Amino acid sequence: MKQQHYIYLALGIAATILFYVLRVQAYEVLYSVPGFSDQFYNAGLYDMIPLITIVVPWAAAAVYYFAINSVRFDRWYHWLLVGGISTVITPIIGYSLNQSMFSDMGLSYGAESAAFELVNMLWAAVMYVIASFAMRWWSTNCRHTPIPQ
Amino acid sequence: MTIMKHFISLMLLLGVFTLAVTSCGRSPLDKAVKSALVKQDTTQAQFDSICSIIKQNPDRYKQYLDDQGQVDVAQLQALIDQVGADLRPPIRWDIARYGQQELSLTIYFERSGSMVPYDNAGDRGQLKKAVNDIINHFPGRKVNINIVNDGIYPYQGSVDQFIKDRNIYASTAGVGNSAFTDFQQIFGAILKAQDATNVSVVVTDLIYSPADAGDVSIDKILNEENSLATSIFRQYKGKSVLVHQLMGDYNGKYYPYTNRPVEFRGMRPFYLLVIADTPVMDRMAAQGEYTELLHPAAVRNSYRFNQSETAVDYCVVPDWKDNAGRFRVDHKDPSRLLKCQGDKNTGVLCMTIAARLDGLQKDEAFLANAQNYKLQSVSGFELKVTPITADMITGNNKAYLDGKTHLLTLTGKMNGPRDQVVISLPNEMPAWIAQSTTRDDTNPAAAGFSTTTLGLREFLDGIASAFGAGGNYTTITLHLEN
Repeated sequence: MKQQHYIYLALGIAATILFYVLRVQAYEVLYSVPGFSDQFYNAGLYDMIPLITIVVPWAAAAVYYFAINSVRFDRWYHWLLVGGISTVITPIIGYSLNQSMFSDMGLSYGAESAAFELVNMLWAAVMYVIASFAMRWWSTNCRHTPIPQ
Repeated sequence: MTIMKHFISLMLLLGVFTLAVTSCGRSPLDKAVKSALVKQDTTQAQFDSICSIIKQNPDRYKQYLDDQGQVDVAQLQALIDQVGADLRPPIRWDIARYGQQELSLTIYFERSGSMVPYDNAGDRGQLKKAVNDIINHFPGRKVNINIVNDGIYPYQGSVDQFIKDRNIYASTAGVGNSAFTDFQQIFGAILKAQDATNVSVVVTDLIYSPADAGDVSIDKILNEENSLATSIFRQYKGKSVLVHQLMGDYNGKYYPYTNRPVEFRGMRPFYLLVIADTPVMDRMAAQGEYTELLHPAAVRNSYRFNQSETAVDYCVVPDWKDNAGRFRVDHKDPSRLLKCQGDKNTGVLCMTIAARLDGLQKDEAFLANAQNYKLQSVSGFELKVTPITADMITGNNKAYLDGKTHLLTLTGKMNGPRDQVVISLPNEMPAWIAQSTTRDDTNPAAAGFSTTTLGLREFLDGIASAFGAGGNYTTITLHLEN
């Protein structure tokens, strides 16, 4: 295994940790609404939603490269399909969690929560790309997907 | 197999990352405090629940326990302040009250000649009702009653007997000398006897009736009264005095300063003077259990002497119907408003502050009147004050409005890149004191006889002079930047 691959893995992990450390700023620079953002912060959702946004894309990438790991599915659009599923699932889980917690707190921010999850889709996609480039080198059949080495 | 090892390794890595992130979070104590603050559940029950978490884990939370194994309220307050400061908007929960000693109440019931007509069998008995209400609603169990005129005499019956007594002046006839009221003796003894957990209430008509004053001019008597008040209270600068004016039926002989009694039937003012150490008065003001003492139901006017400036809880409501233009509240400093921009069409910037003003011990009419506030800003903002009502509070604005009493709405156009808006509520002697004062009480048919008290202003000016008046009840400063 080339040393360069370990550098990709290290960079991927570092970028993911950095995203988690700077999660509040990462989200609020793209979406911040008076009232909603404060409640989101108080409810601890800036801790939980980014965690989902990391775990789901990384798990999806791991499933693609190591569980699916087949020459039948080694085209870029296969990779994109898994990424798409991950990018849709992540905000759905986030929205459900968000609404469940807000409902318990007696808050109703349905539209804002949905808009927030649209932004979260972007971060979920970014995480999927980061995870893919961090781990693809160890896949036996899909290491050339989406871009050949 | 190797590929499955990679997969399993990655899944384990993700699991470890998730566990690390979730377990590196706050302790159960931190979570309980945060939950209480976020849900605005700042009650005695919640405090007890938090204490039980500490006591169940004495090793883990030993810094929150004192040598006797009891919860160190100061340490816990520091944690609550820290957690509360990290919320949006920052939330404060004063738990100091839970570790404090119970307060005691001492009633000093004036029994001078001019007081007797306040409690006739055929009248409504507002004076006795006001005293009974204070005793009945006082949360502490220790209550003492004294009769005062030329001196202080313990009431011989029980508290229950006092409350039931339909003719308190008849049953206390012969106690002391009701011909004159010695303020120096009474207030000197009250202030001297009072300890740090006592609240004293003097029930009086506040008419200074010194002995041997028959040939003395009214000016001399009132000047003497003024000097007397100053000389007594200046020795106790750590005390606060809350003066309540109430009205009661009066039917009988009234003793003017000339000491030639006249018959009067009608309403007359009487006063409840609540005296306590300033921290005790602040403590009562911060709690909800002392309403009857601080705001009696039948109170007509009130004023507290020696009220220090209080920092009130407030927050800018980011999303409110009256808001216009744009601004963003700084998460680190809620008094800073960033990116302030007026409305695109009108240029008007309007922001709403929710503030808790009930701790200032001012009546609603005073607090809701924007004329009583002083506003300083370069841009010339204007202020509107609106009481918060239950129907204004919704799930989404609960975090901002819950526990607050008034909305302070600022409207204006920013003239420059930054501005500082200072909203203050000046502490000035209220107009009712002058309006309730007379220097001649010899004619019961005179206009204003039923609403004025001889030498009230002089006596209260004397107290103000002893404590030093002025300053503000509270100040809120906002820093605006665009």
